[in-house]
Amino acid sequence: MALVSGPGRAGGASPDQDLHILKHVAYIKNLDTRKDELEYWLTEHLRLNGVYWGLTALHILGHPEALSRDETIEFVLSCQKDNGGFGAAPGHDAHMLYTVSAVQILVMIDAVDELEKRGRGGKQKVGSFIAGLQNREDGSFMGDQWGETDTRFLYGAFNALSLLGLMELVDVAKAVAYVQSCENLDGAYGLFPGGRVFTCIGALSIAGRLDLVNKDRLGAWLSERQIDKGGFNGRPEKLPDSCYTWWVGSSLAMIDRLHWIDGKKLAGFVLQCQDSEGGGFADRPGNMVDVYHTHFGLAGLSLLGVEGLQEIDPVYCLPKSVVARCFAE
Amino acid sequence: MASHGVRRFKPVEKTPEERQQELQKIEDYKSLEQEVSGKMAAQNYTADTLKKISELLNRNPEYYTIWNHRRQVMRHHFSEAGDSADETTSQPALQLIKNDLMFLIPLLRSFPKCYWIWNYRLWLLDEARRLLALPEARKLWQEEFFLVGKMLTLDSRNFHGWGYRRLVVETLKQLGTPEEAMGMTQKEFEYAKKMIGANLSNFSAWHYRTKLIQRLLDEQRATDDERKTMLDEELSLIHQALIDPYDQSVWFYHQNLLSVFDPDTADRTMAPNLTSAERLAYLRQEIENIQEIIDGAEDCKYIYQALIECTVLVSKVAGSLSSEDRDQILSWLSELKQLDPLRQRRWLDFEQTL
Repeated sequence: MALVSGPGRAGGASPDQDLHILKHVAYIKNLDTRKDELEYWLTEHLRLNGVYWGLTALHILGHPEALSRDETIEFVLSCQKDNGGFGAAPGHDAHMLYTVSAVQILVMIDAVDELEKRGRGGKQKVGSFIAGLQNREDGSFMGDQWGETDTRFLYGAFNALSLLGLMELVDVAKAVAYVQSCENLDGAYGLFPGGRVFTCIGALSIAGRLDLVNKDRLGAWLSERQIDKGGFNGRPEKLPDSCYTWWVGSSLAMIDRLHWIDGKKLAGFVLQCQDSEGGGFADRPGNMVDVYHTHFGLAGLSLLGVEGLQEIDPVYCLPKSVVARCFAE
Repeated sequence: MASHGVRRFKPVEKTPEERQQELQKIEDYKSLEQEVSGKMAAQNYTADTLKKISELLNRNPEYYTIWNHRRQVMRHHFSEAGDSADETTSQPALQLIKNDLMFLIPLLRSFPKCYWIWNYRLWLLDEARRLLALPEARKLWQEEFFLVGKMLTLDSRNFHGWGYRRLVVETLKQLGTPEEAMGMTQKEFEYAKKMIGANLSNFSAWHYRTKLIQRLLDEQRATDDERKTMLDEELSLIHQALIDPYDQSVWFYHQNLLSVFDPDTADRTMAPNLTSAERLAYLRQEIENIQEIIDGAEDCKYIYQALIECTVLVSKVAGSLSSEDRDQILSWLSELKQLDPLRQRRWLDFEQTL
């Protein structure tokens, strides 16, 4: 199986405020039938992320069975490399981003055991690939052996390792200190848009160190991301984008400040981003849909408590029931 | 993947001819991909392989594995060229690196937000540090200024561009003398000022400036008086920028400056050693200045937020909130509750803390 993450086939109906669950399920299921489109092949470097986005969206929509469990496991394992890490698709190099997606997918369908049975060396091997990417001097993480450093990789490492129960493989205290060094006086983190805040707060949350965050100040910065149309932007004076519903919203939820914004208006904006004919969500109303915005739009709606959706965990971006099961084991 | 800002359109049914063309394109793409994988598997790191890799990357610069292949092939070519900087043979490596830097330019122009291209470029420039004599490596890094300057002129808010600029500056500082490093901070400070002058709502430029001021003062081992002078200049610059009080970026910078007067954060700011009396005097002056902006901008919520922020800081420095200040805050808060319904519950939470 190879779920594509290409753009949607467009529809043109006027946006409305109903959630078209079955349309979205159908949209995600059909993503894999588009091998006759060049875009399918040009986006192969995102395939494993695409499976995570599509599958999580289906879980949120209450249709987890819409993708075959066996085929999913088979595809995930076909992306694993000898070093224990995962690439975006078979034959692609191992990288933190895809390794995290692989772990999240396997946790979601309760198939981590398959790593021992059919994978290359079990979960310990996956954990040591991830741990090997930590810079032991400053605590940061690289994406792969070629050296790019970013808090996205640090968060990803914490996410996957904690799900696997292997946090002891890394220096958590140093990583936490690294995240702290990214904090700005305006209460936000790093030079980058709101998505970066999520990675820092998510990492601190997994490490149990949210006490280090100035919640009122960060909450103020994040809540100012909501603009009059209801949607969130990533930086001051930028256009809104449905994916920030997740990045900004989950960060607010982690610091107990989600009520500082107008959830109804935000949900209204996201619902306008739906393609009510063909299914899927776009970045803004009337734009082309894709599986990335479909996933993050739905995750955002779930966070806001929209009826008919499964609850999402703001730290892991997995269904709450999955996270609960994983940590109960 | 993520199609940002692309308008939705009704799909037009493809003619059999068009479908055939698309299938042909897929075929071509896949056969090029297979050719590259085959050569890599056979460790065939020739100039021809590099050419095929370039062709594939031109078609799909997001294909990160192919960038890794390119690194491997380049490393092979470097080692053939002799990989020691102190030998007189760094010339071939220099040429290889220069050619490769050139190859990236049109790609960066077409895909300025593609992470993988920027990453590869940084890797290449790090290889230059490893392989070339210091003056040669430095020259290459210096030339990056022109590139990133051009990128930021085209899109002054591209955060890849700003992040890249910061890395270039940091590296050049490592490669130069301490005096040169100091001169560079000064130059960057002026650059950020110029960019802010061109567009006051450039959050990235303001942000960059915050970091630079700190560094500049530290590098110069500035005295408390010098730090105060810098603070005064910054306050006057921000007051000029606040002529448009509806611009959020400027207010965030203003808030940043206020942390100088916050006993909890002062030691991380440009003027850590102000006395409490000085802090109070500054804050009272700020409150006065901001109140002057209200006239004609009564519906601008940022003004009331800043007034509240200043007054809360006054109480923090003074150790208690006077009943007069408290009444002031409550009256600004009632304005805010009206002007800012989206964040109604934030203001209610705040009210509870008074």
